[in-house]
This record gives sequence, structure tokens and C-alpha cells, in this order.
Amino acid sequence: MKKLAALVLALMLVLSCAAFAEVDYANLKEFVIDPAEIPQEKLDTTLYLAVSIRGLENPYIATIKDGMDMFAEYLDSIGQKYETQVLDSGGDSAKEVQNMENFAAKADGNAIAYADPNENTIALSLAEAMAESGGYVGTAWNKEDDVSPMDLDNWVIHTSPDNTVGGYNTAKALFEAIGGEGEVFCIEGMLTNAASIGRVAGFNKALEEYPNITVAVDDTANWDTTEALTLVETNLTKYPDVKGIWCANDNMATGALQALDAVGKKGEVKVVGFDANTDIVQAIADGDATATISSNGYLQGGYTLAICYAVWTGLLDVEKIPENYRIFATPSLLITSENVEEYMSAAPVYDFSHIYFCKDDD
Amino acid sequence: MANERGANLTITEEFAEKVKRANFMDRVMRVAPIMVLAVLILVFSCVCGFHVFLAPSNLVAILKQLAIPLCVAMGLTYVIMIGSIDLSINGVVGMTGSLAGVFVANEVNNLNLGLFGIALAILSGVAVGLLIGLVHVYLRAPSFMVSLSFMYVCQGIARLSYHSRILKITDKTMLWASGASFLGIPFITWMALIMFILCLLIQEYTAFGRHVYAVGTNEAIPRAVGVNVNWVKVRVFMLAGLMSGVAGVLGAIRLGIGQVSIGDNQMFPAQAAVVIGGTALAGGKGGVQRTLIGVLIMTILKNGLLMCNVSPYITDGVQGLIILLCVILTCEHGKTVISK
Repeated sequence: MKKLAALVLALMLVLSCAAFAEVDYANLKEFVIDPAEIPQEKLDTTLYLAVSIRGLENPYIATIKDGMDMFAEYLDSIGQKYETQVLDSGGDSAKEVQNMENFAAKADGNAIAYADPNENTIALSLAEAMAESGGYVGTAWNKEDDVSPMDLDNWVIHTSPDNTVGGYNTAKALFEAIGGEGEVFCIEGMLTNAASIGRVAGFNKALEEYPNITVAVDDTANWDTTEALTLVETNLTKYPDVKGIWCANDNMATGALQALDAVGKKGEVKVVGFDANTDIVQAIADGDATATISSNGYLQGGYTLAICYAVWTGLLDVEKIPENYRIFATPSLLITSENVEEYMSAAPVYDFSHIYFCKDDD
Repeated sequence: MANERGANLTITEEFAEKVKRANFMDRVMRVAPIMVLAVLILVFSCVCGFHVFLAPSNLVAILKQLAIPLCVAMGLTYVIMIGSIDLSINGVVGMTGSLAGVFVANEVNNLNLGLFGIALAILSGVAVGLLIGLVHVYLRAPSFMVSLSFMYVCQGIARLSYHSRILKITDKTMLWASGASFLGIPFITWMALIMFILCLLIQEYTAFGRHVYAVGTNEAIPRAVGVNVNWVKVRVFMLAGLMSGVAGVLGAIRLGIGQVSIGDNQMFPAQAAVVIGGTALAGGKGGVQRTLIGVLIMTILKNGLLMCNVSPYITDGVQGLIILLCVILTCEHGKTVISK
């Protein structure tokens, strides 16, 4: 009887090894999680899931948490035990690292997390905090150029929607909407933040193609609605002929629209944002705003966890994942009056077993 | 005998001299903030051009930007006059702003309580003030710790109240208020000015107003004559909560959205405005009329720096330095400052 059991076990081991061996690491895009391959022992272990973010009051960031919840539903469907947690840094870098340390320590290695580093500099610290207890983390948006997931096995992926392309696209949509000439305001996000820097680079790139556009104001409103309102309100009195306002995110676009509304110029002065907040999407549908970009927080949050999950279960060997599947761009979408209705009617539904669905095709 | 008389005379003279000097300093202290304000206006007008900086549209913008800091700073003035401090401002303003959005007609829920909802939001601010006051006075906890804790509690309540869905306000009164103006002054500024007059009347013409000064100067004296000092303190914190509540509602009107970030960065400008205005951190001295000047300085400083297109990389630094300069110029020196 013992021999038989040993034989069965050995067979299972060989089979499972064979199954793992089938993974084609050069073409991970086709990789699919097969729940049958996940060891029962893993399914019975409580896996701790987290998203490390700054401030759920930001609607875009809230969709990242929703992405985690959607992925959790998938885990339910395959019988994985888990617990979810939101690590809210409130925009404090030190707190974000501390949150991650506490979370990783609690989970004792059985942890996967999505992290949106508050600043470039803390991406590595977050990954190291996770590495100490043996969990897996995927970061998004911000990291220093000289560090990468390739440095650390527990730092599975780093993804980012291409900010420069997004900023370029919204700027172009704005410049086209105002007929390619006139004064515009450029409202930047936090000055040291990679997302803001990338988007502004895109804005400047588009600017080169439109020689008749002049930038009257180039200032920061720190991603904040009230600050943007004050900034636009003040500058509107100095530049009453402004034609368009380019904002590095939608929170600030909301403030810009409010300032325009107060002087009866909403709809007349064109506004673009970034992030696809519900109110700006509605404003595009109403003709008050021109364009925004959906970075798709559902997809970022859900799929980052899905990829980390594949590594935690052992289905993927992190050392064998090639660099272009560890650092890549996630797809984003330019929303304008042309496609806004379609965007608003379609709620995202994802199959998280196709873990690299979130990789933008080059 | 003669010697003694001579010594007495010297002491009297010395005392008279001291009083004279104190009076002179007091007059300087009253005038200094106004001078600073005048200099700021002059400098910004020269740099940006008079027709730009003093254009009617920019004056309206300044009036709008003045409303919320003014409300917050007036409540804080009372707290500082009794020698305490209130660090709950960011939280209370964010909470009442969010709740105002939650309670009136909006795109997320169907509560639609209208004016009653606005009153409820303001009352929540008063309630927080009451709690801060009670804990501070009866549990003998320092006001800065109690109020700081309540800042976080309030931010938590604010976030919970709308679950990060954008609370776009559709209430007709609120929408009307955001665009309305009378005699060229925006509605929210009128509201702030009415609150200012209210605070000034309380300060000048009520027993409570006099007790506030007495408690701030030396608690033992009003206590000895039978004033309920504890209750005075609690009421001061309630008044501060009320003013933060009004500020939150004005913020929601201004933004057209209820969200916790209405309260962000409200505290420091308010503290600076109170101190620059000339209300002593040690308590017992100052008043809301002085704070009005302080708030004007802070608002015009921010507006002017934006107007002059000062590089965003150095705006914060420049603002900090100018505030520091104002504080050095206008603050009373040599006093031991202890926040109770």
C-alpha cells in the first residue's frame, strides 16, 4: 500500500513537473492558469492580497482596489483561500514602505501585492520589504531608472501605461479642438512624480508639432482639485483669451472646469485630463471636456495580482520570465466625444487566467 | 527718607516708561500687519502690472479664495486666544465638505436633504468641536494631541461617507450659490463676511467674548470670580468646529463636489494668518479683526505668486520665507509660548 502511494505520488510529481515544463517562457502571452495544476496545499493556504496605494478618495485609485476584488472573485472560483487588504499610504512614502513591511510580516511569505509607489525612490524599498518575508509584489507607474524587477526575484513585474504617449494624445486632442492655435495652460501634477513628468513630456512633444500654440501658464497643482481651481481662477483673469487647458490628471481637470463654470466659459475653453474619472467622462459626453485617458485601474490591480499569483503557486518560475514580461506597458485608451458612449456602456469583464492579457502589444 | 522717596519716584517713572513702551509696541503690532499687507499689494502690483493684479476679475478671484481660509482662521483665533491650539482643521473641513455633498442632491445617492442637509453637515463640525473640547477639558488631554487625533477620525469619516465615488453636487441651491454674487462680491465671500461679523460681535459684545480673553490671560482670575472656565473652553472649541463646518460647506459649494481634499492644506495658512494678524499664541491677546488682515495677507500672497508666474519649483519655498518674515515682523517677541 505504501509502495503504491509512493508510486502515485512520484507519478504526480513527474506529471506536474511535465506540466510546468510546458510553459513557453518566450511567449508568455499565451500562458493560462490551469487551476488543476495548482497544488492543493497552496489552495488551502490563506493567501494575503493587498493593493498599496495613496488615498482611496481618488476615483482612479479606487478602481485599482476594485481590480483586486475582481481578481478575488476569480480566486473564489478556483477555490483558493485568501484575505484582501488595502494599504493606504495617504501620499506618505515612509508610511507606504512601513505598511508593506507590516503586511509582509503578517503574511509570512504567503503574500502578493500590487504597489503604486508614492515616489520613484521607494519602489525598490517596497520590493525589499516584501522580499524579506518571501512574498511577491508587482509595482506600477513609479520606479527609479537604475533599479528593476530583474534585480530581485520577489519583485515580479513593473508596469506602467505609457504616460508620454498618453500625455501626447491628450495634448494633440486639445490642440486639434482649439484649431491648432492660441494660448493654453499646462497644469502639471507633483513635480517629482514620474507619471507627471512623463505626461508633461508628451505634452511638450505634441507642442513641437503645433508652432501656433503658446503656453501661457505652466504650473503645478499637485494633482489636487482645489489647487487647480485656484490656479485656473487666478490665471483666467490674467489670460482671458486662453483657449485650452491641459491637465496631467482628471482631479485637476475637475477644478479647471469648475473655475471655467464660474465665469461662464465651461465648454468654450477646452479641457483635457488623464485617468478617466467618472465626472470627466460624463463631462466629455456632455461636451464640457475634450478628452481623457483611461489607464484602467481594474486591469492594473487585477492582473498584477494574477501574475504574482502564478509565481506564488509555482506555476511560473520568476527567474525564467524574460525581461520584456517583467517590465512592460499596460494598455490605455484615449476617450473623446467619439468613443465616450461606448466606454460608458461597457463594464470591464476579465478572465484572470490569461495573466498576460494586460501586456500592451508593442 | 529722601533716599526712599527718590527710589519710589524712580520706580514710578520706570513703570510709566514701561507702560509707555508697551503701549507703543502694541500700536506698532497693530499697524505692522497692515503695513505688510500694503507692501505685498504694492509689490505684486508692480511686478504683475496694476491693471492685471488689481483688475476687477482678479479682485473677485481673491475674494473667492479668501472665504474658506477666513472662516477657518476665525474659529482658530478663538482657540488660540484661550491659549490652546486646534489641529483638527484639515479633517473637520474635509468631513463637513464631504458630508455636505452626501446630504444634498448629488449624482451618487438619493438622500437630497437640501438646506437641512447643509445644516446637518455644519452641525457635525460643531459636534466634533464639542468632543474635542470635552476630552481636552475633562480628561485633561493637551488640545494639540486631542485635535490632531480628531483630524484623522474626521478624515476617516469623510472617506467612508462617499466611498471614493465622485460626489458631484446637483442641488439647485448649492449650484446657484457657487455662481451667485451681490454687489460684485461672491456669495461664499458674503457668507464668510457674515460669519466674521458674527464672530466680531461675540468677541466684543458678549460675556462669553470677555471670558475668552480672561481665560487666555490667566485662568485663575475668571475662575475665582465664578466663571465656568471649562465650559468657556468647550464652547470655544464648538465655535471652532462651527467655523470649520461652514468652511467645509463653502468648499463644497466652491468645488461643486464633496470630497475630503477640501480640507487639505487648510491648517497651516490659517495658523499663519492668526499669528501674522497679531493674536498671541500664549493667549489672551488678539481678535478676529486682526485675523482678517492675516488672512488677507495669506490669500494675496498665494494669489500674487500665482499671478507672477513664479516657478512652481520655488513657490512653496518663497511662500514659506515670506510667511516667516511676516511672523518675525509682526509677532510679539520674548514671550514664552505654551499651548495648553
